[in-house]
Amino acid sequence: MNVYVRLVYRNLRANLDKLSLFFELFFPLFFVFVQGSGLGGIIPPLDIGNGRVVPYQLFLAAGAVTLTVINAGTNAGTQLWFDRKNGMFEQILMGPFTRAQYILSIILATLIIGIGGSLLVFLLAFPVLGTGLLITFQGQLLIALALFLGTLFFGGLAIALSVALKSSETFQVVSTFVFFVFLFTSTVFYPAGNAPPVLQAVSYLNPLTYATDIFRAGIFDAFTSLIPLEVGILALEGAAVFTTAVVAFRRIRV
Amino acid sequence: MGDTLASQSIIEVDKLSKRFGDKAAVDEVSFEMRRGEVFGFLGPNGAGKTTTIKMLTTLLPPTSGSARVVGRDLRTEGKKIRERIGVVQQQDSFDQGLNVETSMDIYGLIWDVPKRDRRRRIDEVVKRFGMKDFLKMPTIDLSSGQRRRLQVAREFLHDMDLLFLDEPTVGLDPLVRRGILDYFKEKVKEGLSIFFTTHILEEAEYLCDRIAVINQGKIVQVDTPENLKRRFGRAKAVEFKLLEGTSRELFERLSSSDEVSKLIQDEVGGTYRVTTSRPEIVIPEIYKLAEKYGLSVSSIYIAETTLEDAFINLVTVDDVRRPDSS
Repeated sequence: MNVYVRLVYRNLRANLDKLSLFFELFFPLFFVFVQGSGLGGIIPPLDIGNGRVVPYQLFLAAGAVTLTVINAGTNAGTQLWFDRKNGMFEQILMGPFTRAQYILSIILATLIIGIGGSLLVFLLAFPVLGTGLLITFQGQLLIALALFLGTLFFGGLAIALSVALKSSETFQVVSTFVFFVFLFTSTVFYPAGNAPPVLQAVSYLNPLTYATDIFRAGIFDAFTSLIPLEVGILALEGAAVFTTAVVAFRRIRV
Repeated sequence: MGDTLASQSIIEVDKLSKRFGDKAAVDEVSFEMRRGEVFGFLGPNGAGKTTTIKMLTTLLPPTSGSARVVGRDLRTEGKKIRERIGVVQQQDSFDQGLNVETSMDIYGLIWDVPKRDRRRRIDEVVKRFGMKDFLKMPTIDLSSGQRRRLQVAREFLHDMDLLFLDEPTVGLDPLVRRGILDYFKEKVKEGLSIFFTTHILEEAEYLCDRIAVINQGKIVQVDTPENLKRRFGRAKAVEFKLLEGTSRELFERLSSSDEVSKLIQDEVGGTYRVTTSRPEIVIPEIYKLAEKYGLSVSSIYIAETTLEDAFINLVTVDDVRRPDSS
């Protein structure tokens, strides 16, 4: 059996806390069904490009799906921390694997959780999202790119944080704070164009903005000329953070 | 090192060093371990044992020197080495989200052991390590001794030529410990080589063919347990009891004898323990003094030199730590 299949299977079985996973999925659905329906009555429909105007609940539901990639990213750091805390990190590195194989297996497990979790949230949010979906072939590609690159960025970020921080408790606190900053300065909850200039500027640096915009463009057929640029920026940010994570990981002292 | 000897060696270490900043944790150690032997690696805390194991298992890169493990170069063939070794670390290591049985199964899986072999080997180690009672327990709920058994047992799920055991019996009760040591012996008979560290010197004596003693990052001595005892366990203990209980005069006179390094009296049991390198002189002196003070010796014997005596002599480097040196 392929070494990555073996390691990814182990990561998914050994390092996934099922209860945490349940709440990670529940969290975005809360936005879709509670916040979305509550605010949907007072926030007018929003223009998302390409002449598409969607109700706020739909706008938020799409954002909530991409929010799952943040949760998946946190999982990458948690997997690494579990292994470090429980001595399995050294144990695996003294086994027939390379460091690159180990870190890639964490990223692959994270991608499975991120993309799988997003699709599950997507299905569970279907009663809301289903009313406005318009998915073309190009849209499917955009959906895949948004989820893949988003998970790569946040997975890489979580790994870099978990390497840099000295304890698993600090990692949990810091990663929660950092991911909240990403969440509230992105276009998950509101369109960047309506925000104050400073927040707009921050939003345009935020990879979650691009993951969300690309995902929305994919599911609502709201492709604009800006989308390829957004894909490019997200890919660059993802590559940069992933490289940082790998370099940081190689320096972990055992 | 000759070709014949080299081919019989499973580990060859040449001036291997590891420095952390200014401090040399391991300082130019050189030794050779033969195939099919249990090689003890003993030393006090912080002597460099675990650092040496981390280097030999490719977890830590050496600062200088070279080594071959299972016939492969440590610096350039790390993965090839790791494919043929097993390691039981000093620290705990377990998958916290699984029960014992699944944890072993997945450990075998990541080593690419076929499912049927995994099942057979799990059954064997469960039986030999007495793990049946906690097989379905989550690893997070295990006691330290149970977790240790799991950690040792799962290493026998995969094939290997060389097993590194870094204090593998910590936290185990004597019965389980003996069972595990006997299992190691069986595996050695089947061709496994074992690199073994422990602070329980009776274990080292029971298991090891040869022992290297490391202190402050340097190898102090490599020899068989018997030879180490013979060469470095010179001070012997003579223990005796008086029919009358205790005698202050005898204690004081015996303490001042040139041949007595140390004299201790057990206040409760009344046993005197004399440390000496010349028991043949001290024993008649005890009888002579007893007669002089009108006392009778009720029992007397020479305590056998232990590996611990030899170890302490080898690693004690200053007078504060060597009470017998005067």
